[in-house]
Amino acid sequence: MEWFDCNAGFGIPSVPSGRFASTPQELLDELGFCGVKNALVWHAATKDESAQTGNRLVASETRDHPGLHPIWAILPLATGEMGTLDEWFAAMKTNGVKVLCAYPEKHRYLLNGLTFGPLFEEMCTRNIPLLLDRDWGRITSLLAEFPRLTVVALNHSSWGDDRNFRPLIERYDRFYIDTSSYDLDGGVADFAARYGPDRLLYGSAFPAMQMGGSILTVAQADISDDAKAAIAAGNLRRLLSEVKL
Amino acid sequence: MKNESAIAREFLAHGRSESCPIIDMHGHYGTFSGIYFPNPHADRMLLSMDRAGVAAIVCSSHAGLCEQERGNAEMAQVVREHPGRFYGYRVINPNYPEAARREVDRYPQDPGFIGFKFHPSGHSYPITGEHYAPALAYANEHKLIVLSHTWGDSRYDNPELVAEVAAKYPQAIIIMGHSGYGAWDKTFAIAREHDNIHLDLCAAYRVNGVITRMVNEVGSHRIVFGTDQPWFGPHHCAGAVCFSRITDEDRHNIFHRNAEKLMAPFRVS
Repeated sequence: MEWFDCNAGFGIPSVPSGRFASTPQELLDELGFCGVKNALVWHAATKDESAQTGNRLVASETRDHPGLHPIWAILPLATGEMGTLDEWFAAMKTNGVKVLCAYPEKHRYLLNGLTFGPLFEEMCTRNIPLLLDRDWGRITSLLAEFPRLTVVALNHSSWGDDRNFRPLIERYDRFYIDTSSYDLDGGVADFAARYGPDRLLYGSAFPAMQMGGSILTVAQADISDDAKAAIAAGNLRRLLSEVKL
Repeated sequence: MKNESAIAREFLAHGRSESCPIIDMHGHYGTFSGIYFPNPHADRMLLSMDRAGVAAIVCSSHAGLCEQERGNAEMAQVVREHPGRFYGYRVINPNYPEAARREVDRYPQDPGFIGFKFHPSGHSYPITGEHYAPALAYANEHKLIVLSHTWGDSRYDNPELVAEVAAKYPQAIIIMGHSGYGAWDKTFAIAREHDNIHLDLCAAYRVNGVITRMVNEVGSHRIVFGTDQPWFGPHHCAGAVCFSRITDEDRHNIFHRNAEKLMAPFRVS
């Protein structure tokens, strides 16, 4: 079965919490140990230093590693740090970036239409996914404003978040959950039985989390082989194929 | 896949290992306030256990964390109905010391119980407090297991407090639930210092690199498998063990050997 991780990172963190990959090759070694060949990746500098530096490094350092697919972080349009929208999307195309992420707390902005309206409208048109850490109030507000935006919620709380994210799954067709923290006993199978497997994306949350837990949870969930393949890689491949740059 | 572990490959292919069963030393039972459980009760817990090769689980009931006498009676009923698959911890709620004392007195009545469950953080009462003392003294006298929730930054069950208890009750077997989550250095140090402390992987398994550190700095002979099931599925914890940089001998110790030794006096055939 093919595995495509939607939630992994490399780079030297300012505060290491455990094992990490300082280089793309180290990350590929970690992924390869678990049988994973492809991953969407961010750079540690994106969070710890600046979005501009992280975006530059993740693009340049993954260039020679076709299994690693760079994610860029967005910043408010009003400060001009992203350049114009035309420049931004041209740069995404040049650097093979098909997925964006946002860190509203770390980068200190409001994730809403006032700050990002033209960008999010264009992302809806181009089917560009936005990765976000869980904040259910923020995600609910964002999707209410941009219901056609493709949003992937990462790193949900393992202490029980189904009551938070299932209403969003029911309301918004382009809302997805990564599996890095979906260690709820029977959670994947229960979710898939109700909603089908198409809204779950395999994610490891490496380096914060141990990579193998999410893999064995998906591989051995009480669902069909086709459903496992969709979660492991197929759903993410479909999302990426829909992106128009 | 570059992981050459035979156990990991078996789990990945079949979901379980014929040669390496699992004994889960940290389970719960029943519904709980802040979470949706697909599998809160025995029938569905057993399905998950069977899929992962979990031979037995030791549980405390969620009801017992709130109302110990009612909850422990519920757990005893489950243990009676599923001998050899479900074992029990008798929950002690120190906020009701008279009821807690009665639960200690009742301990011999229920075969299939292997000790006590403390949740000092949940009960906002320190593990070193006097209301836990009767249960600890009883566990010390009878060499029982005490599974206590422990968390690194808790004022009620941090590693330093656990060390005090381990020193005062050296015959009691203390399992540190969640291994003092976050305070790894302190936890590993007190585990090296006190032979009666064992480390539970529940939730700790998620943190990248912790299992390998635990094995290297304390030893796999002191680590037990735990899931909090029905909170977390056994495959997540098993996957973390399978894909850590440890040996298959370590995996045998963690998955079942250590638990078999600890539970030998209590096994129900």
